[in-house]
Amino acid sequence: MKGAGWIVAAIALVALTLLPLHMNGYWLNLLYQTVLFVGLAYGFNIISGYAGYFSFGQIAFFGIGAYTTGALALGTHWDWTICALIGGVLCGVLALPIGAIMLRLRGPFFAIGMLGLAQTARVLASSSSALGGGSGMYLPPGSSLLPVYYWTLVVAGGAFAVTWWIDHSAFGLRLQAIREDEAIAATLGVATTRAKVTAFIISAIIPGLLGGGYAWFLTYIEPSSAFSARVDLQSIVMAILGGIGTLWGPLVGAVLMTQVSEALWANFPQAYLMIFGGLLVVLLIVLPRGIVPAVTARWQKRNTPSAGGGMAMGGVKPEPELP
Amino acid sequence: MDTVAQLIVNGLLLGGVLALSALGFNIIFGVMRVVNLAHGDLVVIAALTCAVAYAHWHINPLLLLPFTALGGFVIGACIQRFLLRRLPAEVSSGEASSLVLTFGLSYFLAGAGLWIFGGQIRSVPYLTGAIQLGPISVPQARLLAFVAAIVIAGLLGVFLRYTSIGRAIRATSMNLDGALACGVDADLVRTVSFGLGSAVAAAAGTLLSYVYTFNPQDGIPFTISAFAVIAIGGLGSYTGALLGALVLGFAQAFAAYYAGSTLADAAPYVLFVLVMLVLPQGILGRRAT
Repeated sequence: MKGAGWIVAAIALVALTLLPLHMNGYWLNLLYQTVLFVGLAYGFNIISGYAGYFSFGQIAFFGIGAYTTGALALGTHWDWTICALIGGVLCGVLALPIGAIMLRLRGPFFAIGMLGLAQTARVLASSSSALGGGSGMYLPPGSSLLPVYYWTLVVAGGAFAVTWWIDHSAFGLRLQAIREDEAIAATLGVATTRAKVTAFIISAIIPGLLGGGYAWFLTYIEPSSAFSARVDLQSIVMAILGGIGTLWGPLVGAVLMTQVSEALWANFPQAYLMIFGGLLVVLLIVLPRGIVPAVTARWQKRNTPSAGGGMAMGGVKPEPELP
Repeated sequence: MDTVAQLIVNGLLLGGVLALSALGFNIIFGVMRVVNLAHGDLVVIAALTCAVAYAHWHINPLLLLPFTALGGFVIGACIQRFLLRRLPAEVSSGEASSLVLTFGLSYFLAGAGLWIFGGQIRSVPYLTGAIQLGPISVPQARLLAFVAAIVIAGLLGVFLRYTSIGRAIRATSMNLDGALACGVDADLVRTVSFGLGSAVAAAAGTLLSYVYTFNPQDGIPFTISAFAVIAIGGLGSYTGALLGALVLGFAQAFAAYYAGSTLADAAPYVLFVLVMLVLPQGILGRRAT
């Protein structure tokens, strides 16, 4: 089983590497968007899913990555991959003090703090004349999508690998302990601040690196595209649809949703935010834990019939659910 | 000296309206421990409704206030009754799912606003003159908004203090178990509180339509400023919210004069972060009780 999993992963990787060479523009664009949102959903998932700190401001790091890449590329004429790498590193460095401050807040307070951070970053970008202010800046034209796609594929693959490691490591267990009850986790000897801030930094580097590629993809960045509400909302909806706090959830959510969301964005740009916002609300009521946990729960039930049946035969009534 | 006096007047007038907005946020948080991330979007939608009505029929927003507040109440009561109440209890972190739900609602409302009103910036160019008091000029529109906000806040205080449902709301926010033991219908109280909080948000938006320009995607700053006000003043405390609003009003007025309007927009957030750094245990301590 384990061996089969690795073979499937290897085949998928080879296909994702080789197929784009023979794709036309539309499909390559769609594939790029899919991989981009897989990466973003994983970035959101680490701090919000595993550590339980909902960050609605991950787009701040995406925008900082995009702007850093743009400004460096225009100022230095270095290769854009180096600029994007610096953008990602900068996000990681910034995330240390930001995380140390923000993560002192819990639950909704952290969420609103991050929302404010994204807002403030956007305001600062649109008022900075060095960054082009509200009218943005143009990057050198003539870049092709293929290198951006490979960059994004590597980052998204890395995000998956890091999540796999978190899912299988003591660090991941520490994060989940913090999510379930931070006070008890601290009592049991988890260095909560260190674990939280580490998760926050990882969650910041991923969108930072992806933002650099996105800037190169757009070739033109301005505050509302770099700090895009659409990208932020979409990556969160995808992670929650697939199931946050799981290894496979963000992948499933992003792969299922990208084509739908691209079609919606192309046809109903005015109603897009309304549809996705409404979708998130419905999702939380109908499928609160996401697809992956729901499917695994059903799978386990079907494969172990004795668990459910045995209880009924024993005459133990299941407790009525409290309203 | 005159400048400082002028800025104090500006801050006071702004603070009154910010206090009203924060009161709406505070009722919902106090009763349900739900941070309503859609708060600012209700403010903006009410303001845009007034701006459109003024542009078409020259209706004074103050006359529309009962209708926008009623609309806010209905929307808020429906959000609680049909959405928040249906959140499955099985999910381990109920607080997180209500938070994400209002986050989704925020985008839903902003998107609906964009669809209905379009993306352009709107305002109400009504009462643009100013009253001169010696060296200080008092903008008439801001004065009107301030007075109306204080009156509404006062009525709200009377409602919460002297009516039975108002007392039930305060009891529930102090101690849910105690309120339940005394026979309070918690479901009804939650619905009324969410409706009331949203009605107050809509009323604040109506009054702010005199003061600011609006477009449908401006909601988040109003959510943050409402939150900053109650974080500064002390969560759950109504008099604290008034104090916090004054602090924020002054901060915004002084920042706008000395540092430009961009920094004034960032003032609520900066203040919020400062309060967090100086008094993090204050914020968290309140919440723990």
